[in-house]
Amino acid sequence: MRQILQFQLPERKITPSKYANIIARHEVIIDREKCTVCGKCMEICPEYIGSARIDYEAFQKPQGLLRIIQPSFSCKGLACQRCVTVCPTHALSVTLSPQYHVLGDQRWTADIISSTWKQAETGYVPSGYEYKTGQSEGGFDKLRFDFELSDERQSDIDCLSNQNMDTSLLLNKSNDGREKITIPLPVYGGDMSFGSVSLNVMLARAQAAQAWDIFTSTGEGGYPDELIPYKDHVITQVATGHFGVNAETIKRARIIVLKYAQGAKPGLGGHLLADKNTPDVATIRDVVPGFSLFSPFPFHNVYSVEDHYRHVQLMKDINPRALISVKVSTPTDIDMVAIGSYYAGAHILQVDGGYGGTGAAPDIAKKNIAMPIEYAIPIVHNYLLEEGVRDNFTIMASGGIRTSYDVAKTIALGADGAVIGTAELIALGCKRCENCERGRGCPAGIATTDQILSHIIDPEWGSQRIINLYHSWKNQWDSILAILRYEHIADLRPNTLVKFKHGRFNHLIHLDHRR
Amino acid sequence: MVTTFERYHIEIKEAVIKTPLPSKFIVKRYNNCLNVQECTQTCIYEVHKRKEDGQVNEPKTELCRGCHLCTLVCPKNGLVLQINPEFESLGDSYYTPERMKAISFEAETGRVPVSGTGYKGLFAGKGFDGIWFDFSEIVRPTRDGIHGREYISTSVDLGRKVSYLRWNNSGTLDMQIPRVIEIPIPIIFDAPCPLAHDAKLSRVLVKAASKLKTFVILDANEYSDDLLVYSSHIIPRFPEEKINTYAHLIRQSKIVEIEILKTDDIAEILRQIKTYNQGVLVSVHVPYNENAVEQALMLTSSGVDILHFYLPEDECIQDPDRIVTSIRTVHTALVQAGIRDEVTFISAGGIAEAAQVPKSIILGADATVVGHAYHIALGCRSCDRKSKSPNCFPHINEISEIASQRIVNLIGAWRDQLLEVLGGMGLREVRRQRGEQGRTLFYSELEEKIFGENE
Repeated sequence: MRQILQFQLPERKITPSKYANIIARHEVIIDREKCTVCGKCMEICPEYIGSARIDYEAFQKPQGLLRIIQPSFSCKGLACQRCVTVCPTHALSVTLSPQYHVLGDQRWTADIISSTWKQAETGYVPSGYEYKTGQSEGGFDKLRFDFELSDERQSDIDCLSNQNMDTSLLLNKSNDGREKITIPLPVYGGDMSFGSVSLNVMLARAQAAQAWDIFTSTGEGGYPDELIPYKDHVITQVATGHFGVNAETIKRARIIVLKYAQGAKPGLGGHLLADKNTPDVATIRDVVPGFSLFSPFPFHNVYSVEDHYRHVQLMKDINPRALISVKVSTPTDIDMVAIGSYYAGAHILQVDGGYGGTGAAPDIAKKNIAMPIEYAIPIVHNYLLEEGVRDNFTIMASGGIRTSYDVAKTIALGADGAVIGTAELIALGCKRCENCERGRGCPAGIATTDQILSHIIDPEWGSQRIINLYHSWKNQWDSILAILRYEHIADLRPNTLVKFKHGRFNHLIHLDHRR
Repeated sequence: MVTTFERYHIEIKEAVIKTPLPSKFIVKRYNNCLNVQECTQTCIYEVHKRKEDGQVNEPKTELCRGCHLCTLVCPKNGLVLQINPEFESLGDSYYTPERMKAISFEAETGRVPVSGTGYKGLFAGKGFDGIWFDFSEIVRPTRDGIHGREYISTSVDLGRKVSYLRWNNSGTLDMQIPRVIEIPIPIIFDAPCPLAHDAKLSRVLVKAASKLKTFVILDANEYSDDLLVYSSHIIPRFPEEKINTYAHLIRQSKIVEIEILKTDDIAEILRQIKTYNQGVLVSVHVPYNENAVEQALMLTSSGVDILHFYLPEDECIQDPDRIVTSIRTVHTALVQAGIRDEVTFISAGGIAEAAQVPKSIILGADATVVGHAYHIALGCRSCDRKSKSPNCFPHINEISEIASQRIVNLIGAWRDQLLEVLGGMGLREVRRQRGEQGRTLFYSELEEKIFGENE
């Protein structure tokens, strides 16, 4: 019998970005010679008022470049062009914005970033964006649910569905008497250290985790006192650097994560470059400020499965009520690692795929070491199933999971849930510009510990943005479950071996292999 | 005799050239600027600065790192960020602008490129891009090499090795042990591009090779007398019929290279060369083609010391998969014939970034030959590679010191990245990485295993 979770959803609140402008997909340009400032374009624009505006002052200036209408997020651009047609003097033209081309990359496309921003603002999916998949030409971007292909209008259902399905996830599947923690969403927040991100960002994430009754993690860099009020929703990470790890912080947590490896830099320790090791960071990490911190790798007390067992037991002894999560990346023998961790007594295995996020990692490691999560999850799932222990162990996938659909696909591939890092930061305004690692850090105030920059993010604002994002995601999971006629998100996880035939498995279709 | 151990170290120094690659981003200011100064306060990279009269300067585009912030905060929406079209048009589909940018960064600073956020590229790609390294976790200890906490060797041996020793009845060795030459990095420089060639370039290269204690291959007719002081770092390359012409070079060199052989009598050619210099190692320059396996087996059994297989750069660009299958095929054939350790197999082609050195090695090569990448480090724009351009190396004359330092920096950064990979894989030396295909994750195989037809 499954226990239906009664849970009061947190409130959705419109939380717009704090910037004056947006990065829109289209640009409307006015030829100043021809424009008579009649205003007809503004009247006809279906998106007008509030976002589209003409800058009359610019007309006073004699020369230079001119871009006078800023379209809104939802300008349909070339597909609409009503303003262009209505203009009596043919002064308008619509083009793709060159700046939209700068935004994003093949994994996180400009559309995914923009739609994540919009979801963080409103709590709903915006129309007109490819918000489900990116363009990385493999993995999640080539996987589809069968209903996505059978009916093109299904995408609209996401916005319409108001069924509240059961998307909860039981984290302790063993019967060892420890707390049966159940969270209402199949996701929780990933590990980000104080040092890689600012305290305000950690607070925003912790507040959002509290509102949704899920978790966030301290990361490697210690447990700032400001997080103590949220301690029931903060995971203490024990990593190879052991920064700020002590009996007190271990005892404080309901879940402890032992970080053996990180997907963005498997086989390497954490990196915090000198510039970001400010006095505040150094104090909490108990190190000298101004030096680069390269954590050792691996845990030098864990060189065998037996050591691993002792390590897990040690944590259990220190904190007799906490669940133990083991965070590993994806080597060829990830199945062996998984079964080893199960018998070592861990409750949760977090499998961090090779394309995961990071505050700083060598480029060579990000691209070239360890396998992507899409391969690792079926391998782990199948092996644990064959060993007969799958239902006693929680598998969390992370590393390259960007959207609600990625989460659903990873569950359909055999994971129980997912750990979300980058998407939460995108909700706070991250643009994936890659400048987190050195100097003053992130100019948007996210991945920084600079005295001034770290105050840009307001924790209240930030937590509401993350809350909104998860609202939108929950809606999408609800509708996926409704379409597939499942009651509970756990039903989406296969109970059989994951085996594709003709590019199909259950409700999943791989576009390259389908026949 | 007392020998002191000297730890191999690459001396890194900043080396800036006057014509850097075009910057990636462009920031444009429209004329509706009201001089509000939001941009100057927001930008932490100093792209936007105030002039003395209080007005905003034209944006210093080359400092921009693409964070979009100035365009977002401008109250008049008067700024736009774009990708520099000049940057986008650099190179080709293989030597991409991003790869050229990385090489140029490594050559300038000698540092490992480190950045924030996760990987941004395609799920997998062709050729080397369809390979991931395995790494060590929990039960196989990793090595902590890059920060000097554990020693990892990047040395490789050039030359033949015997598979067993033979003793006579009196207990002395009854065979000749072939000579091997150890180089501290698994990288040798290929001869410079014939279009860009001039004497200065050879000199720059040779200097870099001697600082790095490795070798550079030079066409024998470009081997001028003033380079003879560096002869222990030069491999002269010549066609087989010119052996007698270059007798003096054979005497001076530790290794010589023969251009692809026309005759079948390899043993005779080796004998001829060794009459001039008994100890010289002989390398043969062979293209990867349909006869590659046959050639490799024949040359190895005839006693050649080094097999230098190459795939011309334009063929790598056309079909990046070819280099991967070629290395694997040659290595596997030698293993199956039971003679893999008798010969050194070095591979040239497609080495456009640091990861491709260990990738070539894990596929089966003992060492790699780097060609086009060092040209990019020296300022080559990789334009069409068919015609000489006045921009090939515009100022190599004034900057030969800086130029050779840039090559040293590039290889220094690549060696550190090699150490990252070896450390992550838990290998103590690069020799043990050779041919470790079981610790390689191939995109094609994984894709088939997970999403393809099972059974």
